[in-house]
Amino acid sequence: MIDGMQVIVIGSGEVGQNIARTLSAERHDVTIVDRDRARVEALQGELDALVLVGNGASPKFLRDVGAGEADLLCAVTQSDEANVIAALAARQLGAKRTVARVRDPDYFGGDESFSRDVLGIDFVIHPERATAEDLAEAILLPGAVHVEHFAEGRVSIAESILTDRSPLLGQALRERRMVRPHTVVGIIRDGRTLAPTPGYRTKTGDRVLVAAARGDIAATVAYVAGRASEVHDVVIFGAGRIGLPLARRLEAAGGLRLTLMERDLERARYVAEQLRHATVLHEEGIGKEALIAHGVDRAGAFVACAGDDRANLLAALHAKQVGADLCLAVVSREEYVPLVDALAIDAGFSPRLVTAEAILRSVRGERVHGVHLLLGGAEVLEVEAEPGCRAEGRSVEQTNEIALTHVAAIVRDGEVLMPDPAERIQPGDHVVVFSPRQGVAQVGKTFSGR
Amino acid sequence: MNRLPAGVAPQFNWQLIVPVVSGTLLVVGLGLAACCAVAIASDDGAVVAFGVPAVAVLPTAALGVMSGRRLRAMPLRARDGFFAVAAAWVAAALVGAVPFLLEGTFTRPVDAFFESMSGFTTTGATLLEEIERVPDAVLLWRSMTQWLGGVGIVVLVVAIAPAAGLASQRVFYAETSGVTADRLTPRIADTAKIIWGVYLTLTTAGFLAYWLAGMTPWDALNHIFTTVATGGFSTRTASIAAFDSLAIELVAIVFMAAAGVNFAFYWLALRRRDRLWPQLAEVRAYLLILLGAILVVTLSLLASQEDVGLGGSLRASAFTVVSLMTTTGYTTADFDLWHDFARLGMLVLMFVGACAGSTAGGMKVIRVMLLGKTAAQEVQRQLRPKAVQVLRVRGRVYSEEVRRGVLGFFYLYVAVFVAGTLVMAAIGLDEVTAAASVVATLNVIGPGLGDVGASENYAAVPQGGLWVLSALMLIGRLEVFTILVLLTPAFWRPSVV
Repeated sequence: MIDGMQVIVIGSGEVGQNIARTLSAERHDVTIVDRDRARVEALQGELDALVLVGNGASPKFLRDVGAGEADLLCAVTQSDEANVIAALAARQLGAKRTVARVRDPDYFGGDESFSRDVLGIDFVIHPERATAEDLAEAILLPGAVHVEHFAEGRVSIAESILTDRSPLLGQALRERRMVRPHTVVGIIRDGRTLAPTPGYRTKTGDRVLVAAARGDIAATVAYVAGRASEVHDVVIFGAGRIGLPLARRLEAAGGLRLTLMERDLERARYVAEQLRHATVLHEEGIGKEALIAHGVDRAGAFVACAGDDRANLLAALHAKQVGADLCLAVVSREEYVPLVDALAIDAGFSPRLVTAEAILRSVRGERVHGVHLLLGGAEVLEVEAEPGCRAEGRSVEQTNEIALTHVAAIVRDGEVLMPDPAERIQPGDHVVVFSPRQGVAQVGKTFSGR
Repeated sequence: MNRLPAGVAPQFNWQLIVPVVSGTLLVVGLGLAACCAVAIASDDGAVVAFGVPAVAVLPTAALGVMSGRRLRAMPLRARDGFFAVAAAWVAAALVGAVPFLLEGTFTRPVDAFFESMSGFTTTGATLLEEIERVPDAVLLWRSMTQWLGGVGIVVLVVAIAPAAGLASQRVFYAETSGVTADRLTPRIADTAKIIWGVYLTLTTAGFLAYWLAGMTPWDALNHIFTTVATGGFSTRTASIAAFDSLAIELVAIVFMAAAGVNFAFYWLALRRRDRLWPQLAEVRAYLLILLGAILVVTLSLLASQEDVGLGGSLRASAFTVVSLMTTTGYTTADFDLWHDFARLGMLVLMFVGACAGSTAGGMKVIRVMLLGKTAAQEVQRQLRPKAVQVLRVRGRVYSEEVRRGVLGFFYLYVAVFVAGTLVMAAIGLDEVTAAASVVATLNVIGPGLGDVGASENYAAVPQGGLWVLSALMLIGRLEVFTILVLLTPAFWRPSVV
């Protein structure tokens, strides 16, 4: 990890704050800029960062705050246009890396090279589209409520909820029969994330994180979750910036009956025009009667992704109660996250976390390849073991102790290994680790050379 | 309410109307002059009949066209476009009727007007008992009116003499057929040029094909004018049957079918393949209906007519189906003698018509497709009242305005048909003839059933009926709305925007 990077964050909304806080905790020099004076004043006491009032899209202002010397500039204001202009201007001034958040799909016609090559922005984040992709993965993998991929897609980590039928249930983790090579990476119980100890006994309702090679993940999840019924009917509540790309993605996957519910008639019409096979309903209610009328009780998956967190949580709660199988909710604001568990909703998805993940991935530089933030505050990281690092030559068991983490998978020369505790880390290994606390600093120390 | 006193004329934009009507008459005048030249060459006594109106019309129309340049800055309203187009068509039909009277082809003004209107609207209904007796110049005039009316005289005026940009647009859409205002190019005058370019290309190719197939150049010219216009006038009383040639029938089938395709389609196929897809849906449906109808009618003929074999049935069926569905109206077989199933099937095909943006009449295939979709969606709506339904044909989405337009069109079309049939019955026609004469004129086909059947003509229709049918031809050719808005009181109120 490079310490002491000069980072400028434009925009102090949830995402901006989150990035500033995380990076500041990792001992980078953070400057956060916002046009709103009141917001800036409120932040000044909270963050160990330089908080300034000003227009981040102004080249003059950017020069004044030293964007030319910055190692990284993250533009995450509410306005896509301001983000792009800020990133462009910073690039011209000499900033080493620029990241911009762009939410409007009109600005990314599927051509990433445009923003990189023509605009010179290193990384453009599309939080809503990425969230839609995450939701689609969860729906398309029976038994999982969340899936992430690491090591160029070779390793998958899935989150499943243990049911009564799960063969894993009640066993000590070390006793489990291996169907396919996999690792139980972590367990989330009652909202707390734990690294699994060998004697740990699972119970119904535990969320289990399992890692496996991508080709094995479906079978592994089916085994862990004990239910592998494929999803046939999907109801999407809210056809907005997440709902529409999600529906598109699922339509492309094929074989699913899609129903979208949207309260705004004009938006509903627009979405109906965009989708060829989905049924789009103009529905304002989120009561149980409305949900049952539209077949939510028989749906294999219900996704609440309207613009309002509370509406999403309420809709997902109702859907769960009327009998929808898999209920997923998009929760943007941090304060609502605990409700996901409390309401027994299968999983919460956050565009905010997706943005933070993307930015952390680019901050942490060369050696950290993948970052996945879990809603509870834990992280899954993909790091490269450098020659001469503390982990070199040590067994997985020892590494786990040093780094306060749990090694989930090792990719060695393109080969995926599900390591047993005695496996030794070699230089050049890509290691996927699970870190219950935000212990990235410790992980960094363990795997970086120097 | 600020209703103005009765008798106050609405303020029309003469800057638009005068040049459009004059431009149309200028084109008509040039046609008259060409026929006059033919009359001189063949020395058949029709020189005066064409010379007088040509000499009268050409200078007046030229003056009118030029007057448009001086009148500027008048507000341009939707009704100006409708009025200009309607006035241009009525004026063309009136001037076109003059040679028939002067030459003595007809003695009653109503007959001459009917024949002229039947020409410009590409209907092809005729009052002539024996066509061969008529002078060459008059025959050419009949064919030429159809050719000029085919894709539209006003479209031609827009193409060669573009008025102010907006003005062209108003009149262009008031004349051309279709459910949406598609344009091929940013400037409407260029779109009009493309359409006429396609039209001229088809005409030239068809002329050569007819000639090669055995027609004399004279017959080939007359027939290609009425083929690509899907008009149906012939130089023979027996129509295409008079040639008794399979080759000629095949050429006719190919060019009638080709003229029933959206003209924009040809240009898109050559230049803009990426925009071809939505058009393809209608063309494909059109061809499928043609083929399906040919098959069914052939089977029906085989079953009901024992003396005709497979070849004969196929030949008669293919020619008649293509001729009637493209609303051309050439005949080789008297389909009025067919089995009732085939006869009624023909009536249905007449209503369907060919593609929008072609020279054909009828309701147009795309409208029938959209009506079918709408009907199916209404059934589904009973189950899911809250579902948002999108009118979509092969990936192309049609707006709710288009849906409303299509439904309104259908209603009006049926209403006009019913009202027309009642009027014709009141005038004294039997029920089959009354209905068939309205179908054949509203859909601009020509031959119908009964007393106006394939082997008959419209001479048996009383005078009053001829006026009604003339009006129906114009209503059908301009796709109902352009004429019907003229009949609303609001149109004539000065406050209308």
